Amino acid sequence: MWAAAGVALVAAPWIVAAAVPGQQRYVLHILIFTGLYGALALSYDLVVGQVGSLSLAHPAFFGIGAYTAALLATEARWPFPAGLLAAVGLAGAAAFLVGFPAFRLAEHSFAIGTLGFAIVTQLVANNWVEFTKGPLCVTGIPRPEFPLPFGLTFRITVLPHFYWASLATLGLTALLYRRMTTFRLGRALNAVRENEPLAAAAGINPLKYRLLAFGVGAALAGGVGAVYAHYISVLCPGELTIGLTVNLLVMLFLGGVGSLRGVLIGAVLFTALPEVLRLAPTWRLVIYGLLLLVIVIRAPEGLDAMLRRAPGSGRRRLAA
Amino acid sequence: MPCSAARRAAGGAAWPRDPGHPGTRRSAGEKRVALFEVRGLTKRFLGVTAVDGVDLALEPGELVSLIGPNGSGKTTLFNCVTGYLTVDGGRVLFRGRDVTGAPPHRVARLGIGRTFQLVSVFPRLSVLENLLVFLQQHQEEDLMGRLLRTRRLRRLEAAAVDRARSLLDLVGLAGQADVPAGTLSYGQRKLLAFAATLMPDPDLVLLDEPAAAVNPTMINQMKDRILELHRRGKTILLVEHNMDVVMDISQRIVVLDHGQKIAEGPPEAIRRDPRVIEAYFGR
Repeated sequence: MWAAAGVALVAAPWIVAAAVPGQQRYVLHILIFTGLYGALALSYDLVVGQVGSLSLAHPAFFGIGAYTAALLATEARWPFPAGLLAAVGLAGAAAFLVGFPAFRLAEHSFAIGTLGFAIVTQLVANNWVEFTKGPLCVTGIPRPEFPLPFGLTFRITVLPHFYWASLATLGLTALLYRRMTTFRLGRALNAVRENEPLAAAAGINPLKYRLLAFGVGAALAGGVGAVYAHYISVLCPGELTIGLTVNLLVMLFLGGVGSLRGVLIGAVLFTALPEVLRLAPTWRLVIYGLLLLVIVIRAPEGLDAMLRRAPGSGRRRLAA
Repeated sequence: MPCSAARRAAGGAAWPRDPGHPGTRRSAGEKRVALFEVRGLTKRFLGVTAVDGVDLALEPGELVSLIGPNGSGKTTLFNCVTGYLTVDGGRVLFRGRDVTGAPPHRVARLGIGRTFQLVSVFPRLSVLENLLVFLQQHQEEDLMGRLLRTRRLRRLEAAAVDRARSLLDLVGLAGQADVPAGTLSYGQRKLLAFAATLMPDPDLVLLDEPAAAVNPTMINQMKDRILELHRRGKTILLVEHNMDVVMDISQRIVVLDHGQKIAEGPPEAIRRDPRVIEAYFGR
């Protein structure tokens, strides 16, 4: 069952080509976006779902990664792997710098503090024209190239390659997410989320674990940003608006915050759904909005929790 | 030093086996050394002095109760000595080492376990996980090891699970090991919090109203468990309002009123002390 799903995921480019010959590029594009959004949502969930800090700075880290990779590739001609590493490192480092003062703030102030950082980052991207090109956007970001031994290079050029790159990004992120959220590390993170004073009584340093989740989440977001920049090849400041936070929050909370499956369900649904709704262009946003409302009312803890409850809905009262 | 308790615990003993506990080893003529000492502790909230120059010393293996009317500063004192509140004066010493102002997680790792007055568990973690959380920091401090899950870590984990299961047996929650702690009843959560505090085998246990708001049967169970703990050589400081419990089990009682220590002594003496009667009932 899982193996079949895996094979289908890897073979998706061919399946898509066979199923919708005319629309192949469009469908693959959506799938690539789904993969990248899934990875981004998972990295965000490390902070919001696992350690329970409502950070609104995630687009900033995504943007720092994207701009780092884009500028290094266009201005300094760095090869993709080096740019990717720089993006991951810089986004992670920025998170530690922001996190140290920000985590001194209590819950809501923390959200506002990180929101401030997100806005500042976007303003810098928009206005530091000499460096980021501002609203003119960074253009001509090359296709990712991997230098191989013997002077060879592997170049990602066609859409299916990008799809696999996106799938690999998602896979690696999911793997790291699982490592972070299970066993001892996951228990420590969740303990801090559930009850910070009690976690401290258990010998857990809450600040350390919050910073860890924040830093790793940001570093992953930076990596996703780098892949994203190389994929779309044009990077504009508009990519890092608060709108991205809203999208990610919708994926997290309607999918199932704090659960790998829930976040992935959210990412798939809310990347694909707006596209499917293009069938009814006039009513698209109305239907989207109504669906959000229905889900919030019917499944306030997220779709994942609803699915888990489905077999024996009699237990519902007890669990509450 | 901080790990001594942890290493013992990592061995997987069911109930703290007190291997050579100082409390049991002490001979009659030997000079008694305080395990835990508070000197002139002072805490002010704006204009109110909640704890006012309190001195307190616990010898290894002692069971001491801290009592006093509401608002006399008992819980504030607890929070000060465990790092949850900053102190405005005085010193806290544990094994002769100054721990004044140390953050809560460091105090915990030195071997001071505490419970909270308002029952405190991790509601969405399972009962078993609630206990495991309490031991893991004492066993392992290496983040990379945690990410890579070394064999050593797996062994520690197995030992921790064993220990957690035997503690659950002890407090009668073995059947609920895998349910979320938030679904337990109030009394059960209290027992769970008690068991969790014992996970890392702390040398000093601070219990904040263990018998408050639980039914009489549970109170007796709690009393038995505290006495059992005491018999095994643990040093215990107890804040409690239930006078039957306090008078029954304490070796020594310290009375606070308006942040000041007004009396100290064995239960019989405290019961008759006019200052104590005055503090509780007025003149």
